[in-house]
Amino acid sequence: MEYNLDFHCQMILDEYRENMAIFEKMKEIVREQLEKCVSDNNIYVTAIETRIKTENSLAGKLELKGHKYKFLSDITDILGTRIITFYTEEVDKISALIDKIFEVDWENSVDKRKALDLDRFGYMSLHYICRIPKSLYYDAEHPELNDYRFEIQMRTALQHVWATMYHDTGYKSGIEVPKEHLRNMNRLAGMLELADEQFSRIRKEITDYRRNVQSLVIDGNFDDVPLDSDTFRSYLTMKPFKKLIDKIATINQAEIYEDNLMRYLTTLIKMRFLTLGDLQRLIKDCSDDAYKLALHQLSATDLDIIALSVALQNLCIVYIIKKGGGEVGLRMFYDSVFGESDYNIEHARRTFEQITKINIK
Amino acid sequence: MEVNIENTGNKTFVVLNGRLDTTTADKFMQDITPLMQGDNPDIEMDCTGLEYTSSQGLRMFLMLQKSVTARKGNLVLKNMKPQVKEVFDITGFSNIIKIV
Repeated sequence: MEYNLDFHCQMILDEYRENMAIFEKMKEIVREQLEKCVSDNNIYVTAIETRIKTENSLAGKLELKGHKYKFLSDITDILGTRIITFYTEEVDKISALIDKIFEVDWENSVDKRKALDLDRFGYMSLHYICRIPKSLYYDAEHPELNDYRFEIQMRTALQHVWATMYHDTGYKSGIEVPKEHLRNMNRLAGMLELADEQFSRIRKEITDYRRNVQSLVIDGNFDDVPLDSDTFRSYLTMKPFKKLIDKIATINQAEIYEDNLMRYLTTLIKMRFLTLGDLQRLIKDCSDDAYKLALHQLSATDLDIIALSVALQNLCIVYIIKKGGGEVGLRMFYDSVFGESDYNIEHARRTFEQITKINIK
Repeated sequence: MEVNIENTGNKTFVVLNGRLDTTTADKFMQDITPLMQGDNPDIEMDCTGLEYTSSQGLRMFLMLQKSVTARKGNLVLKNMKPQVKEVFDITGFSNIIKIV
């Protein structure tokens, strides 16, 4: 394809065409390194995008401002990469890691997050201009692979949304945008910046909460710990039902299969167990009767495998009966744990009959 | 103990008949082994004719459940007789295997 380029710009374009294989190789190396970097450091990103500037796009750039470039190597975004993160902190973390992998051209790298004045909102992204160091990859036949620079853009998902929508308006720089539209776009940028901050804050608060809960659980301050998925999971690691299930297992010298008790959480909350302290009292007050129920059910059988959940299941059954829930309460319990089914009517009837026989009140 | 297996497009239907105890466990294991290897991990077992299951039977259901879960499938036991369901309930296996 022919473009309206002067001799100098045509030379640059020819060099681009001749070196396409090198840019493809660079793309492969950079992508591989970035994927390894996020994976090795357990960073979750929404996307890693890599692209080589199309010939059309380069020709357009040369037509507009070809005079700025002496050589192809002066153009730093022939290979462009974008890493889109969930949180702003991850942009900082990834940028620090990139500094270790590639040679960063600091003079030409821009932190557009800092480039904006304090009273302005708009494009927020971190742009690094890099080279592949010889220590990472070197091919004596193509030493220019280490000379060409490439760009890495790092931004959060929300910054990316804003930049993409802005790009969709067709304007490349803020100067061209009609004032009214620029003001609206920038208002949105401010809002998204605030949202980014809030997401980071929420994540930090959740992490702090989990740490705090873990230490409360370890210290045994159960009444101070509300019952939720984090605290229950943490509580289960202390094997609170072990003593009871071990005792039940002795009935038939049974093997214990450790099934997942998290499925009971919703039911426990419905039963108004609000703290881990409530669960501790359930174990303390109902274990003897829960064992008696298991003894009644299992002793006449030779069943020598039981699930860990039998302990919690029987504790709940005993609790419901002691609270006067009766057969209806048992059915509601089974409906909650197993899902509504006709089986639960018979199951509740049978359990209530057994409970009555062993005189649990 | 009879095990009839029928594969359809995306589900395997199994019909169980008889008692699953020490004397029939080995044959049952042989019969269900293909279900643990196949590429069709959605299994529906009709237990209308299942008269009894022992601990050995429970262990085999558990193995099947684990294998199905590992392949991101589902195992569902249907139409269980009350005396069989009771075995699943008092051992806690109703918490492990879906019974409808």
